[in-house]
Amino acid sequence: MAAATKLYKKSLGFFAQIQQYRSNANYTAGASIRTRNELFNEEQRRQREAVGRIDKIEVRYLGLPEDVTLVMNSHISTPYNCAQHLSEGHCQRAVLALLDGSVPWDVHRPLQESCTLQLLNFNVSEPHVVNKAFWRTCSFMLGAALQRVFKEEAKLQLHSFPSPNIKSGSFVHDIVLGAQNWQPTKAEMRAISAEMVKLAAQDLRIERLEVDQELAKEMFKESHYKSEQLPSIAQQNQSRVTLYRLGEHIDISRGPMVASTRFLGKCTVSTAHKLTDEGPSNAFYRIQGVALPSGFMLNHFAYGLLEQRSQKLNSARLPNEPFEDQRQMQLS
Amino acid sequence: MNQAEVSKLISQLRITMRPNKRHLKNSEGPEGRLLKLRKTVTALVKHERIELFYNRADEARGYAELLISNAIRYGDRHKATMELADYWLLEKQLVHKLFKVLVPRYENFSSSYTRMLKAPRDYPGIYYKKSVLEFRGNPFPALVPDYTQNRNLLHNVLLDEARKEFRREQLAKMANKFAAETAAPPALATQENDAGN
Repeated sequence: MAAATKLYKKSLGFFAQIQQYRSNANYTAGASIRTRNELFNEEQRRQREAVGRIDKIEVRYLGLPEDVTLVMNSHISTPYNCAQHLSEGHCQRAVLALLDGSVPWDVHRPLQESCTLQLLNFNVSEPHVVNKAFWRTCSFMLGAALQRVFKEEAKLQLHSFPSPNIKSGSFVHDIVLGAQNWQPTKAEMRAISAEMVKLAAQDLRIERLEVDQELAKEMFKESHYKSEQLPSIAQQNQSRVTLYRLGEHIDISRGPMVASTRFLGKCTVSTAHKLTDEGPSNAFYRIQGVALPSGFMLNHFAYGLLEQRSQKLNSARLPNEPFEDQRQMQLS
Repeated sequence: MNQAEVSKLISQLRITMRPNKRHLKNSEGPEGRLLKLRKTVTALVKHERIELFYNRADEARGYAELLISNAIRYGDRHKATMELADYWLLEKQLVHKLFKVLVPRYENFSSSYTRMLKAPRDYPGIYYKKSVLEFRGNPFPALVPDYTQNRNLLHNVLLDEARKEFRREQLAKMANKFAAETAAPPALATQENDAGN
């Protein structure tokens, strides 16, 4: 009997660590995530209170059922609030907003000044912006799913995700794991895919927040790689850093992202490619997957082709490659 | 003995008719039921898209299909077909529509002539399933969104790129094969020379 359990344990291998993350108390990582969220909440509250006197702006909505002008609150009202004036259907379908016909804007990001507003979904005639935001959100969600799915012992550290490129056929998240020869099995990849689907089912709102570099440093002080990346990211954006939050998971990204995790439909996390060794015991892995927005039907054969293609190593910039120019660094 | 093949005597329906009971009872008996179906077929030919209860639409659909397929098969010089059209179309000007509009439209069709979709029912309301019955090729806007034409939609971008990559791979494979073949003949020639020697 003892021998049998031993064998069983051996066969489970490294990835036995993946499941049951909730039951296994994740003390240190849990604490850092909690403080990060507290800081996020605090900053969010501070920014909301800092608005002070409320100014009115005129938002000209263009689209169905008719073009209307809405009077909204500057720095408070979001495109979602505008959609609430139109109908419930508009609220549910709005994936991304387009201001003045050119600026993509998160649905839950407060509007700054008078502008024209279009609400985009995945079926518009020119969906490039929405597709890109969706692909970026998939990478971001993959980070959240990985964070949930790995146990403490796996020593998971999220590195970054490159700019979304749909034509490459896969969305990507680069991570560092405390194992140098992890060969993921099909069941393990399926477990991560299932976590993505669970996130989608939870219908989590994706929040955006711009913070100072100092605060971002404070929030990501536990994360070695993030704090390394922060200075160059802040340098590009007048020492401001854009953060996104999904449930408990917070990451750095330029955005924009889609309004909610609900928009993720069919999703497969297909492979993990090992990139290089990192230090004595860690290694870089590139996790890849493919997804479709909810409501897009594709027969399983065609989707199978997409899955197969998504298993090829994505050619986006590798995390360990040195940047030619710090200004070129794009953490998506 | 020399019986004609029954299946060739009447044209085959291009839709599947399920052997379900459709509950079309009528206070006037079978005649009343048939009159209702005739009204439905007439309305379908007249308006090309109608919304009605599912069972009635399902039953009338078969008769509409049969009428059109017979009209295509025998033309307007056929007595039996004319009688059939006269029976099903209560408004007689629609007989002209059948032969002058619908027959040319459906002559080269390989699919069914009608399309039936489930429609939402009012809530709260009568609990009868509803449906939309329409002719294919009607002039109205499509009921179901078409995701195949816009190549910029996400799944189409992914599929197009996958197709391109597959073609690239095939071309590379062919090129390699060709290169291998062009490199091979000298080797063969030397072998032959060896054999000759």
